[in-house]
Amino acid sequence: MEEISLTINGKNISCPPGTSILKAALENGIKIPTLCYHPHLEPVGACRLCLVEDEKTGRIMASCVTPVSPNMVIQTDSPIIKKHRINIIRLMMANHPESCIVCSQGNRCELRQIAAELGVGQIGLYPMPHYTGLEEANPFIIRDLSKCILCGKCIRADHELVVVGAIDYNLRGFKSRPSTVHEMPLEKSSCTFCGTCVSLCPTGALSLKNTRYVGSPQNESSTICGFCGVGCSLVMGSVDGQIIEVNPSHKEGTVNRSTLCVRGHFSHDFLNVSERLTSPLIRRDGELSPATWDEALEVVAKGLKSIKKKNGPQSLAFLGSSKCTVEENYLFQKIVRVILGTNNVDNCSYGSGKAVINLINEKLNGGGRIKPLAGLEAAEMIFVVGADPTQSVPVVGYSLKRASNMKRIPLIVADPRKTDLVSFSSLWLPLAPHSDFAMLNALAAILYKRQSYDIDFINKFTEGFDLYCDGLSSVDLKKVSRFTGLDIKLMEKAADLIEGKKIAFVIGHGIMQQRYGTLAMDALLNLALMTGSLGGDGQGIYLLARENNQMGAWDMGAAPDFLPGRQSLYNDIIRKHWEQNWEVKLSPDPGLNIIRMIEEAEKHNLKALYIMGENPLRSLPQPKRISNALNNLELLIVQDILDTETTQLADVVLPGAAFSEKGGTFTNLEGRIQSFEPVVSPPGEAKPDWEILDLLFAKMGYSKRYSSLKDIRAEISNLVPMYSELGGNGVETWIKETSNMRLFHPDREREPIHFSPVITTKNEKSEKDYPFTAILGSLRYHLGSGTRTGYSDRIRDFGLKGEAEMSSEDSAGLNLKEGDKVRISSPYGSISREVTIKRDLSPGLIFIPIAFQNNDSRQLIELTQLGEADSPGWKECQVKVEKLET
Amino acid sequence: MKKITLKMWKKIDGIIQRYKEKSGALIPVLEECQDVCGYLPMEVQERISRGLNIPGSTIYGVVTFYSFFTMVPKGRHTIKVCLGTACYVRGGKANLESIQDEFGVETGGTTGDLRFSLDSVRCIGACGMAPAMVVDDDTYAQVSKQNIMKTLNGYK
Repeated sequence: MEEISLTINGKNISCPPGTSILKAALENGIKIPTLCYHPHLEPVGACRLCLVEDEKTGRIMASCVTPVSPNMVIQTDSPIIKKHRINIIRLMMANHPESCIVCSQGNRCELRQIAAELGVGQIGLYPMPHYTGLEEANPFIIRDLSKCILCGKCIRADHELVVVGAIDYNLRGFKSRPSTVHEMPLEKSSCTFCGTCVSLCPTGALSLKNTRYVGSPQNESSTICGFCGVGCSLVMGSVDGQIIEVNPSHKEGTVNRSTLCVRGHFSHDFLNVSERLTSPLIRRDGELSPATWDEALEVVAKGLKSIKKKNGPQSLAFLGSSKCTVEENYLFQKIVRVILGTNNVDNCSYGSGKAVINLINEKLNGGGRIKPLAGLEAAEMIFVVGADPTQSVPVVGYSLKRASNMKRIPLIVADPRKTDLVSFSSLWLPLAPHSDFAMLNALAAILYKRQSYDIDFINKFTEGFDLYCDGLSSVDLKKVSRFTGLDIKLMEKAADLIEGKKIAFVIGHGIMQQRYGTLAMDALLNLALMTGSLGGDGQGIYLLARENNQMGAWDMGAAPDFLPGRQSLYNDIIRKHWEQNWEVKLSPDPGLNIIRMIEEAEKHNLKALYIMGENPLRSLPQPKRISNALNNLELLIVQDILDTETTQLADVVLPGAAFSEKGGTFTNLEGRIQSFEPVVSPPGEAKPDWEILDLLFAKMGYSKRYSSLKDIRAEISNLVPMYSELGGNGVETWIKETSNMRLFHPDREREPIHFSPVITTKNEKSEKDYPFTAILGSLRYHLGSGTRTGYSDRIRDFGLKGEAEMSSEDSAGLNLKEGDKVRISSPYGSISREVTIKRDLSPGLIFIPIAFQNNDSRQLIELTQLGEADSPGWKECQVKVEKLET
Repeated sequence: MKKITLKMWKKIDGIIQRYKEKSGALIPVLEECQDVCGYLPMEVQERISRGLNIPGSTIYGVVTFYSFFTMVPKGRHTIKVCLGTACYVRGGKANLESIQDEFGVETGGTTGDLRFSLDSVRCIGACGMAPAMVVDDDTYAQVSKQNIMKTLNGYK
C-alpha cells in the first residue's frame, strides 16, 4: 500500500496508512505528552493530552486515535495546543488529592511529570478531589482510586493483555472508577494479582504493597525473571543493594509484553531474607561453621579427589540446576566430564519430562525448537494437552487467551480437570488421567477415516505412514471411548476442529510427568506428522518449561546422556569430537540420572554428591528415602543461595548468587537466549556460581581459568553450534537449530521422520484400597517445590493453604463440608489438607496443589524413573481419603 | 428482595441463548432480562456473564452506567415528585417528605411490599401545575398533603 506523506512540526514524514498521528510522531523522534497511551494497548483517546492541531483546517484532535491522512500539516506544540493541555492537567489536578508528599509513586508519577513539564504549579481552580476509601486488604496491590485519572490503562491491560476481566469502568461522570464486579475487594474478584495494572498506572492510584520497604527505588535495572520457563523481562528496583520492587519491562519485543504474573511481581522476597547463605560453611564436629572460600574449596577438592582415587569416578555425582545460568551449567558438566571423568551429572529438570524430551530429541534431532509465543496468536488452531498454563506459566496462558478471545483461533483443551482455560476454549475433552495417548490416536484414526491428512508433507518428510495407517484402521473407537471416558461424538467434534488445519500443540507437565508421557508424545508426534504441523510458525510443539533455564541446562549437557548441544553421549563420533574439543578422554559409560544417583547412594555405591542450586529433599518424591540416601554419602557439597532442608545435611555449603546478583544467560521455552547483567551484588561473601565453579576448576588442578562470563560464552559459542551467537553484541539471540532431519533441511538426502506404532489402551490395575486418583499440579502462587516462593511474605499472607479439591459427589459421599480436614494417603506417605469442593471436578479425582505445606504432597508419590514402561509417573497417584475430626 | 423464580431463570436463559452468537448483545440482553425480573440483581448479571462470556466487571459497568438499568427491584408504581424551582417553592419538598413518612421509603428506594418506588425529579416542564407529581404515566397538579394520599390510594 502506498505510504502517506504529511508534515509534523515542519518535518516531512511518510508512514503506512492507518498509522496514528501519535505513532508517526513518536517514530520520528517527536515527543507528544500522553497519559493513557501505551504501545501494547489499544489507544482510546481518554486523557486528551496528545491533542495536536492541523494547521490547514484548524482542527484539534487526539493524535493517539486519529490516523494520518495525506498532506496533513500537524503542529504538536502550538500555543493553542499548549493552552488546552495545561487546562486538561489543571482539571485533572483539581480532581486529584494533594497527597504527593506521601504518595509512593513519588517522582515517578506521570501526572506530576507532565504538570512540571508544562509549568503547571498552582492550578487556580477550586479543588474537588473525589475521595474513595483506600483498599489494601489484599497483600499485593493497594488501590487508592481517589488518585485515578481514568486513563483506563489498568482496564485495558486486564482485558487486552492478561484477559482476565476483573475490572472495568463503573458508574459515570465524576463517580466513574475502575471497579470489580459489584465493587467487591480484589481478592474476591477474578483478579490473579499479576500486577500488570500496577506497573502501567501513571499515578499512585495503584501501587505495589511492599512489606519490606516504603519509598521508591534508588536504582532500576533490567534482568530476566528467574522463576518459570517463560523468561520475562524484568525491571528490578533496588535500595542499598536490596531488591525492593519488581516490574515488567516495557521494552518492545519481549516475551511478556508489559505483563508479569503474581510470582514474578511479588515473590522475590527470598532475595533479601535472613536465610540467605552469606559465607562458606564446613561441618566441624557435626556443626556447620563459617570458613573461608579457600578452606571450603580445599575440603571439596581434596574430598572429591580422594574418593575418586579410592572408589573410582563412578562414585562421584553432580546434581545441577535448571535455575542456574547457561554458562554455569556448561562449566558444571565440564567439571564432571573433564576433571572427574564420569557422566554422573544431571539437573533437577529430570522430573519435568526428560524422558519426553529425549523422545522428541530422537525424532526431530533438535528441529522445530524455536517457538515464539507470538506464533500462538497467529496459529490456525491450538491444542492444549496436559497443561494448565494460566496457573503454571501464566504468560503463556495470556497468549492462549488472547488467541482464543481476540483472534478467534479454535482452541481445544484436553485435561481431566476444568482448568481456567476451558472457559476460553472451543472444546474441552475431559479425559481420564493418563489416557491422552489413546485420545490422540483416536483423533488420528478419525482423521484417517475421513482421509484428512497432509499427504504432501507425509510423502516429503516422513517414513512409515503405511504401517501407521494400518495401526489407525484398527483403532476401536468404542474401546478408546471406554478407556478415556470421552464420548465418541466429542472426539469427532475435536476432529472437526482439527481437520484441514495446522496444529499448535501446547504440552505441559500433564504429559511430561505422567505415567504414559512418552506414549502420549509418540501419539502427538504422529498426529503432528500426519497433519503436517511441525514446520512453520504457529504450529508444532510448544513445551511448557517449568523452570527458567530448563532448556538451557539440557542444551549445555547438564544431563547424563547429553553432551553440550543435546548431542548424544553414546554416539562415538560426537564423543570423539568433544574429546578433541576438551583435549581429554571422555568416559563412554552412561552416567547416573538424579533417580539413579539416589538409588546408588542408598546402596552405598555413590560416595560423594555435589548439588548446585537444588533442594532435592523438598522437590523429589519420598523425602525420607532422599534424606537416608544423602546421609549415606561420605561427602555432600551443597552450593545454594538459601539455607534449605538439603544444606542442613551438607558437609560443605557454598553460598551462591541469585540471578539478580550475577550476570548470565537463560534460554526460555521459546528458544530465546537472554543474557543479563547483575542488578545488585551478592550478599556477604556469596559469589556468582560460575565464579565458584571456576575456583573449583583451579583447586582440582585444571589449567584453564575463566576470568569472566565472556570467556565462558566464547567457549560455548565456539563449541556448541546451537549457541553460536551467544556472547554477540545483543543481549538477546535465538538458538540455532541444527537438526539433521529433512523437514528442517530442504536437502532431500537428509533423514525422514518416522511414525511410531499406534497404541490405544493399557490395562489399568484397579486399586481397591486407594480408590481416588490424586492429580498433583501447580497454582500460580508458587513455583516448583516452592523453596523460593515460600519466602514471599505476600504470597504467605494471601492465605492459601494448598487446599485439596474434591468433587461435590465425593465430598458428599465422605460427608465433607468446605474447609473440613482430611488425611490423604498413598502407599508411600500421607498428608493432611483442608478440602475445597469443586462442582466441575469429576468424581474419583482429587486435585492437590504442589509446593504448599513444605511441598509435602511429594510424600504421596513413588520415586521412580520417568518414562519407563512400568513407571507410575509423578503426576498422579492413587490415594485414599479419610475425614479428620477436629 | 424480589426472588428470581424458576420461570424467570428459564426466560433469562432463553434470552441469552437467542443473543449468544451476536455481537453487541449485552445491552439488549440486559434490557430484556430487566423486563423479565424487574431489576438486574447480582446473580442475574453473573448468569449473563457466564452465558455471553463477557467479564462480570464489564456487565456491572454497563448496568451502573445507564440509569435505565437498576439493581434494586422497582415497585409496581413509580412516583416522581418534582423539585424544580416552581414546585419547590410551592411545597414540593413537603409533599416528598409526607410520602417518605407515610410509606417509610427513601428517595430512590422502594417500599417493602414493592408497591411504590419513589424518586425526585428536577422540573418536569409543568410549572403551571406546581407542585406537580407524576405517578407511572399520570401527572397530577397542585398536589398537597391533603390530596396526596387519596391520589396514591388509587394505585394498588
